[in-house]
Amino acid sequence: MLAIESESLSKTYSNGIFKPRRVAALTDFTLQVDTGQIFSLLGPNGAGKTTFIKMLLSLASPTSGRATVLGRRLPDVSVRKHVGYLPENHRYPGYLTGEQVIRYFGELAGVHPRTLAARIGPLLELVGMAQWRGMKVKRYSKGMLQRLGLAQALVNDPDVLFLDEPTDGVDPVGRKEIREILRDLKQKGKTIFLNSHLLSEVELVSDRVAVLDRGRLLKVGTVEELTTTGTAYDIGVAGDVPAAVFEEARAFVMGLTRAGDHLKAECRSSAELNRVIDLLRKHAVEITSIARVRSTLEESFISLITGEARP
Amino acid sequence: MKIFALVKGTVRELASKAVLYVLAGISTFILIVAALAIGASSSDQGMTITFFGNPIGTPVPRETLSTMAGALEASLAGGLFFGVVVFGLFGTAGVIPDALEKGTVDIYLSKPIARWQLLAGKYLGSVAVIFLNIVYFIGAIWLVLGIKAGVWNTHFLLSALLMTYVFACLYAIVTFLGVVSRNMAIAIIGGFLYLFFIANPLEGREAGLYLLSGSGVYRGILDGLYYLLPQIPAMEAGAMRIVAGEGTTYVPFLQSFLSAGTLLGGAAWILYKRDF
Repeated sequence: MLAIESESLSKTYSNGIFKPRRVAALTDFTLQVDTGQIFSLLGPNGAGKTTFIKMLLSLASPTSGRATVLGRRLPDVSVRKHVGYLPENHRYPGYLTGEQVIRYFGELAGVHPRTLAARIGPLLELVGMAQWRGMKVKRYSKGMLQRLGLAQALVNDPDVLFLDEPTDGVDPVGRKEIREILRDLKQKGKTIFLNSHLLSEVELVSDRVAVLDRGRLLKVGTVEELTTTGTAYDIGVAGDVPAAVFEEARAFVMGLTRAGDHLKAECRSSAELNRVIDLLRKHAVEITSIARVRSTLEESFISLITGEARP
Repeated sequence: MKIFALVKGTVRELASKAVLYVLAGISTFILIVAALAIGASSSDQGMTITFFGNPIGTPVPRETLSTMAGALEASLAGGLFFGVVVFGLFGTAGVIPDALEKGTVDIYLSKPIARWQLLAGKYLGSVAVIFLNIVYFIGAIWLVLGIKAGVWNTHFLLSALLMTYVFACLYAIVTFLGVVSRNMAIAIIGGFLYLFFIANPLEGREAGLYLLSGSGVYRGILDGLYYLLPQIPAMEAGAMRIVAGEGTTYVPFLQSFLSAGTLLGGAAWILYKRDF
């Protein structure tokens, strides 16, 4: 089942009163997110990531296109019973304590008072805020507010969780804890939709990733699909590769380099790779591993964005 | 349930603001002074209200004393209304713009509440706080005059409801401006501007603003504004007459109800159409 689906979704904002300037925040955006996944939306500032989430939460209305969350056509207030949201730069009432914030937004989410009373303690425990539950929010640090925000987003036990920069301002230990919470939620069948600039984080937790730039979807796939270059292979070798063998192998492929016990071969096809392997084996070079070379998500992201930027 | 949660949250929000404590503090000071100062003495000539033991005026029959007490209550209620408007508007004008601020509105509207519910909860919460302030003062003054002067004027108790009603109508303007501008300063300035510079001239337009031009369109605009906006001075005067035990017309109350409803409906519509 699809948790989120958008079809040709577009949003154009009009800025200015006397000379209105139209800004396309999202253009013809089609996306499908299965239930039980951690899905990340990547893109530079102003790419349209937050606009997309806001349209899914009916905080902004689309100019054209359609979207569904948990199979319900938007806008639909009732679908928000099953959704949690941690916005970027959220503000909580400073005069409330952490516990009161969770109770307040739990009441607004329509959680039964008895359920809410039983849920607040474990939630604050989960996000590591139990010991500060009685402290006024205005005294919280940025990292503490993020944790509280996550608890707030989880207060109605949502099926779909939208998180906009959830680890912003959180220390590395806290980030690891949040990652673990997200994995745990995924295990429970929840769908998590993540907007983040921290690509290393996204790489660690996401099942699928979409890259967005200037309101347009550039690519969508698994992290592996996005980071696999497709033409380069890493060949692990034990011991020396004779210079003559190395030179002969280099003639078979687009490029061959050596770094320590590893050869990096740029091949046009798997046949070229096999020729290199055959040659190495013929000369009794011990092969310890063969793997496709993967770039980091950050490298892939930058390559996609800059590629798109080229005329 | 959700609106009640919003009302409760708004009461708590306003309880954290100093300006309403100033209003409650002034009310308490007046109450203490009234409790210590006001009294009644009887003699062969009749009864008099005393202020720190000194009789105010000459002795009058008991029925006349009730009328005098009614007039005193009306002037106290008038003074309280001014205090409520000044401090109440300062205290509550930020409620709607704060709720619509980026980072706050996103959380509210990610919950299963309709936008009109958010507006209604915030509006009713603010009015509820003002009502509590008014009830505190009016109830206590009523007790003081009852216990110390033996005057139990039920009309005076009614003034708590009337004053809250008048404030609620005025607050509809502030709410509308708050939704449109999302700016507390504009909401406050607009509220005070209307109260002190627009409402009274509109109320007395026939003797004042009409004289500036004989144009039918001009007069039509003035009449339109008068009937479109809450009629605060007319309601205030009506409330004072009710407190003093005199009869009054309820037409301004009804018209203001309709205009406040229109303003709140307009605010809800603008909020409904807005992108956050």
